[in-house]
Amino acid sequence: MSKSKWTVRDWIYVAVFGALWGILEITLGSYLHVLFPPLADTFVVGLIMAGIGAIIALVGRWFVPKRGAVLAIGVVTTILKAFSLGGIVIGPMVAILAEAILMELALWLRAVPTRGLYILAGALAVSWNFFHKFIMMRILYGRSIVQVYTQMVKEGSKVLGIDVAYAVAIIVILFLFRVLVGSVAGWIGWDLGRLVGRRLARG
Amino acid sequence: MPMAVGGFRLNPISYLAFLAWSLALVALLPDDRAGLLLAAVLGVGALSGGRGLRILTRGRFWVTVASIVALSALLLGERDLQWGFLRLSREGFLIGVWMSLRAVALMLAFAISLGVLSITEMVRLFDAVNLRGLGFALGVALNLGPVLRDAVEAAYHTIRLRGGFRRPLQATRLFLVTVIANALRYGDDVVKSASARAFDLEAKTDVAIAVNRADVVFLCALAAAGAAILILA
Repeated sequence: MSKSKWTVRDWIYVAVFGALWGILEITLGSYLHVLFPPLADTFVVGLIMAGIGAIIALVGRWFVPKRGAVLAIGVVTTILKAFSLGGIVIGPMVAILAEAILMELALWLRAVPTRGLYILAGALAVSWNFFHKFIMMRILYGRSIVQVYTQMVKEGSKVLGIDVAYAVAIIVILFLFRVLVGSVAGWIGWDLGRLVGRRLARG
Repeated sequence: MPMAVGGFRLNPISYLAFLAWSLALVALLPDDRAGLLLAAVLGVGALSGGRGLRILTRGRFWVTVASIVALSALLLGERDLQWGFLRLSREGFLIGVWMSLRAVALMLAFAISLGVLSITEMVRLFDAVNLRGLGFALGVALNLGPVLRDAVEAAYHTIRLRGGFRRPLQATRLFLVTVIANALRYGDDVVKSASARAFDLEAKTDVAIAVNRADVVFLCALAAAGAAILILA
């Protein structure tokens, strides 16, 4: 974020996209978090919100063609989320920031982004959702949460009569599903940026 | 009302230091010493006016905490306790309690720090660490909230009244393009206003955050409490 190259317009556009993402997190995100139970919401709510967030941030990058733009949008959104009404915001805050960092890393590869980089950025951002629950649980609850999960997998395997080997396959499929959703988000972000650019050019 | 020590109000750096202190102790302390950390966090929360402690009145917070205790009692250790039709484990229950204490301490530390800080203070903080652009963007984003909400509502109702949602995919695309384009147009108006006022991000401002006596006392107390908890552990 080299500040000398950034204009007032760039920062205002960062604010616009940060506010858009923030509004969706605060309204739609909070609403979905209420609908889904605490221990299941990461995989459902997190996936939806990560996909929408990736689209908005990537469209933002189209209008702020500077390295660091997506990270700046993510930081603004994280702080807006922090000050939103609602109970536990630590999880969504970490997720928004992590998604922004991952998208920024992908877009850092080339000064001028391509559709491929947008797809990679979207895939990386949404795939964070897969690891988020485990990392947050480790931070919040400590080592013992690993024991709980291991025991749950064993019990589930026993009850359902599914071999643990298949549990690994299920985990891989769940991860690939996130990569797919993220790739679609990146694709949409690229197209949407172009469409909005055209609309604005028409006046 | 923000915490004041010796008649002085603490600045945002003290609250961020408190958050870092809590995170460090959560990482370093063994589970069975989490109670000490929780007591310290509750003490800071009470001194800071209790605003951050409001999280304790929310049902969702307690559901999260209770679910982890219940799961641990059901899944961990040897099941040596019959409670109605449930067979529970005393060892698992204790592990669940320690886990919950850590989680409550960390969530409270976040709520206390964020409950005391305001957006204005965050903007000042960014300015003070030479990230004026980010502070400016944050301030603009905060003021854009109501305008963008109106733009979202107007676009949604326009498309709905024209029967656009009969084709959901096209309608969603149209909705997103309209909302983003209108938001950017409004952004351009803000740029014009800033230019008309000769706003310059490079201009120097006097926003240094002074560390006062209250901050020094608070930071020393944090360091001492942290060392004491770690030694006891």
